[in-house]
Amino acid sequence: MPKTGGNSVDIELTINGERATVEAGSADDLATVLRQHGYIGVKCGCDGGTCGASKVFVDGEVVMACGMAAEDADGSEIQTVAALGTQDDLHPVQQAFVDNFAVQCGFCIPGMVIQAVALLDSNPDPTEQEVREALDDNVCRCTGYQKPVEAVLDAAERIQGAQSVAADGGQSVSAPLRGSESTGCCGGGCDE
Amino acid sequence: MSDDETAKADGGTASQSEAIEDGRDEEHPLEWDEPENNDKAPDERDSVSHRAEKYDDRKLVTGQAKYTADYEERYPNLAYAAVVRSEIPHGRVTDIDTSAAEAMDGVDAVLTPESDAVPNTKYTSAGQSYPEPSPWDMQVLNEHVRYIGDPIAAVAAEDRATATDAVEAIKVSYEEYDYVTDPEAAFDEDAPQLFEGGEVENEIVGHDYDRNRMSHIGGELGDVDSALGGEAHVHESEWETIRQSHANVEKHTSLAYTNEDDRHVLITSTQVPNHTRRQLAHLFDIPIRDIRVQKPRVGGGFGGKQAMVVEPIPLALSLATDRPVLYEASREEEFYAMRSRHPMTVKAKTAVTDDGDIEAIDLYALSNTGAYGSHGMTVAGNVGSKPMPLYSKVPNARFEADIVHTNTPQTGAMRGYGAPQGTLALEGHLDEVARDLGLDPIEFRRRHHMEVGDLDEIAGMMGGEGANRRIRSCGLDECIERGKAAIGYDDLEQPEEDHLHRGIGMALSAQGTGVAGDELGAAQIMMNEDGSFHLQVGGVDIGTGADTAFLQIAAEVLGCDESDIVVKSSDTDVTPFDYGAYASSTTYISGMAVKKAAEDAKARILDWGSKLLEEPVEELETGDGTVYSEASGKSVTLEDIGYEAAYGDDEREHILGKGTHCTEESPPPFAAQFADVTVDETTGEFDVHKLVVAVDCGVAINPGMAEGQIEGANHMSYEMAVSDGITLDDEGRAEVTDFDEYGLPSATETPPIESILVETHEPTGPFGAKSVAEVPTNTVPPALSNAVRDAVGVRIREMPITAEKIESKLDEREA
Repeated sequence: MPKTGGNSVDIELTINGERATVEAGSADDLATVLRQHGYIGVKCGCDGGTCGASKVFVDGEVVMACGMAAEDADGSEIQTVAALGTQDDLHPVQQAFVDNFAVQCGFCIPGMVIQAVALLDSNPDPTEQEVREALDDNVCRCTGYQKPVEAVLDAAERIQGAQSVAADGGQSVSAPLRGSESTGCCGGGCDE
Repeated sequence: MSDDETAKADGGTASQSEAIEDGRDEEHPLEWDEPENNDKAPDERDSVSHRAEKYDDRKLVTGQAKYTADYEERYPNLAYAAVVRSEIPHGRVTDIDTSAAEAMDGVDAVLTPESDAVPNTKYTSAGQSYPEPSPWDMQVLNEHVRYIGDPIAAVAAEDRATATDAVEAIKVSYEEYDYVTDPEAAFDEDAPQLFEGGEVENEIVGHDYDRNRMSHIGGELGDVDSALGGEAHVHESEWETIRQSHANVEKHTSLAYTNEDDRHVLITSTQVPNHTRRQLAHLFDIPIRDIRVQKPRVGGGFGGKQAMVVEPIPLALSLATDRPVLYEASREEEFYAMRSRHPMTVKAKTAVTDDGDIEAIDLYALSNTGAYGSHGMTVAGNVGSKPMPLYSKVPNARFEADIVHTNTPQTGAMRGYGAPQGTLALEGHLDEVARDLGLDPIEFRRRHHMEVGDLDEIAGMMGGEGANRRIRSCGLDECIERGKAAIGYDDLEQPEEDHLHRGIGMALSAQGTGVAGDELGAAQIMMNEDGSFHLQVGGVDIGTGADTAFLQIAAEVLGCDESDIVVKSSDTDVTPFDYGAYASSTTYISGMAVKKAAEDAKARILDWGSKLLEEPVEELETGDGTVYSEASGKSVTLEDIGYEAAYGDDEREHILGKGTHCTEESPPPFAAQFADVTVDETTGEFDVHKLVVAVDCGVAINPGMAEGQIEGANHMSYEMAVSDGITLDDEGRAEVTDFDEYGLPSATETPPIESILVETHEPTGPFGAKSVAEVPTNTVPPALSNAVRDAVGVRIREMPITAEKIESKLDEREA
């Protein structure tokens, strides 16, 4: 049985392309509900909206799922990191994180990858400073941000390279980009 | 050869001949009986020192990897734990009213210190070797509470929200005692006392609980007082460090249950599975064999999980409820009730001649260990024993430390383990001495720093003469040279604005590679019939990439691809024994165990290859997934060998390799840190343009991962230089409750970090490797203090370095 807090309600979500009716307690945040349904790539490193590990796309916007009431997501389309690529066919951002050794413990990485995908969708050729600004509310304790920043810049080049190949009639880019710029906070669940 | 170089060369020769004269070379020879296959030229390495893809990365970037909390879906009957913690700094619990909580729907159990399931055995949470060098001064739940955060009661409930509600419904009454939060005040004879005499078991050397002293340690080489009283100039300075949070993004999390075989299983976020098993056995009086500790992926440890911090809570609750129980600390608890870096005051004193020869170094540390003594003595010991060997040529050296209890949150192991505090004091101090003498601070260090052939007697000074270390690899000179070039030391451009001043600061550092003489790692390799392998290793990957390094080491020996090997780490029922991930030991100790296991398996593989190829073993080698003879050109695949060994007609064998490794050696890795800063002399505001850190970690098994370790460590070090850490109010209450309030430098607040790998060959390590992950944690506070001094001439000794402090020092100077 799912562990819920408060009185339960049913909410309709489309998660990574799959429609689902999920039970959510009135006190539950979106991250808790997604995790209960097996989307363990939604990580919880704080107790609401301060570490960025739970970032997902909600209707194309980056949201910290732990800071959003599950009920407020009713009717939304949600993409977690698991929707971006598979282990055998990584999204270019995921591949760049692997190739640049940007991953250590990996706990913050799903949130960083989501944020990086959003950045490159709205700004395909960011400067280093723009990458740092985009990742500013993603807490990482392992890397000092150096390699994640390098990975995002590398991913930008890869995607642009792939797109120019596609324009020339070559292979198309391996995965579509989703979402847009982060709302900058938790997307409605906190006071900021 | 410059004068400086002459001085150094002479110093080295003198030191070695001296050592030979008094016979120490026999015990600590420079030559090491290194197996031929251990020293491979770069072009001979097939797997080692390649940028092999991190073993778990694809799972991590797709969000499929499982950390402890991700196992909750496996246990439909799971209950959730929450903890009642002391709201007062010091006192005795007189009553715990649990009636309202027990009456709540969904509450399964409420435990207090009186409950049967709660052991009242004394223990330490520190995950160290045995006998434990930390005092047994803790209990799982407490009547005598010693800080705001001490656990008093625990709840298990159907869901997280109910558990939290139940904790809030429990009413605790206290008799309040006087408290003390300042370590100097705690030392006073009439200060409130945290422990009564005889109350603590497994007491540590130098304890004096009447004065809140958990331990006093010290050691001396030569005659420091005479040197300080001689003709040389005596310099003194005092340095202060912050209370830093590990801020591991995965919180302390532990899941406990009793399985169908009546065995107690913990899936837990730990650096020390085997120590945790032993400690739980001690605490709960359960045989070691009946406890199974499984480590899944871990979301960072940094020393905070070199401790049994949370495991007793879910185990006690699961025993009481007969259900699996998950305890996940809150982020607020992480800041006030888990562990932190010991804040310290370190005094440095040196005697230096007019010519710039250091006659004596004298360090003293006052360490605030908080309410309990976990890692208190050993961390303080490293304040001296890690940085002081850098200057092993100095004839007189002394280190002393007092470790003092206060009614403040608990401290513990943290990356660097005392070395950051000592390195700030020593490297800041020596920089100031050099500037006083009109010497270039870098050249001053070059004249004195350690080099190959030196005997580190500081280790022996602290741990007995047997602990002395002969230095067989040292890349300090190259670290300095390459760091200088990367930071642009020789052609620094000053800003055009008159009020802006740019400066560069440098600091050196040394660490260890494992606890000298107090480590054990073991590994086993099993060959499958298709020529693939299972590697079972006790060494603990907590996000460091250790599993990948183990695979590279094994693949290098076996002559196969890393992807042909499945690694399993750690599960105390399955994987061989290991002390755990701490003291920069994993690659060196556990990695050498893996190498030995692989060599053991390889010997059997070659034997089978010899049978199948009808060639003598001496002619055979492994490579590209085969056994081959260069002489005859014949080869056989590992798969053919695997099937023949498993299913052959006349003789059969499961090809198994075992390796176990312990050593008295602990070779230091070295670092040279540079910081480039511009300071506004009107406001004190400063901008750190870049950090450069060059590290000699021997042969980097995986350069990409090694760079990542260096950059992450340098970020943690930078935080110590510029952030407040966990600040406390007058009652010792942590003022930080979440990441927004904690000053972890964000992506925009962190300067670019350039890591440089300086390769040396450490003959005692696997394929020449020594440690990497701690040494760059030590260096940014002194380098930045030195850079500010270089830029505007003022010295900040109390961390963090802030614009206000710089401005105030500039104002003092003006006045």
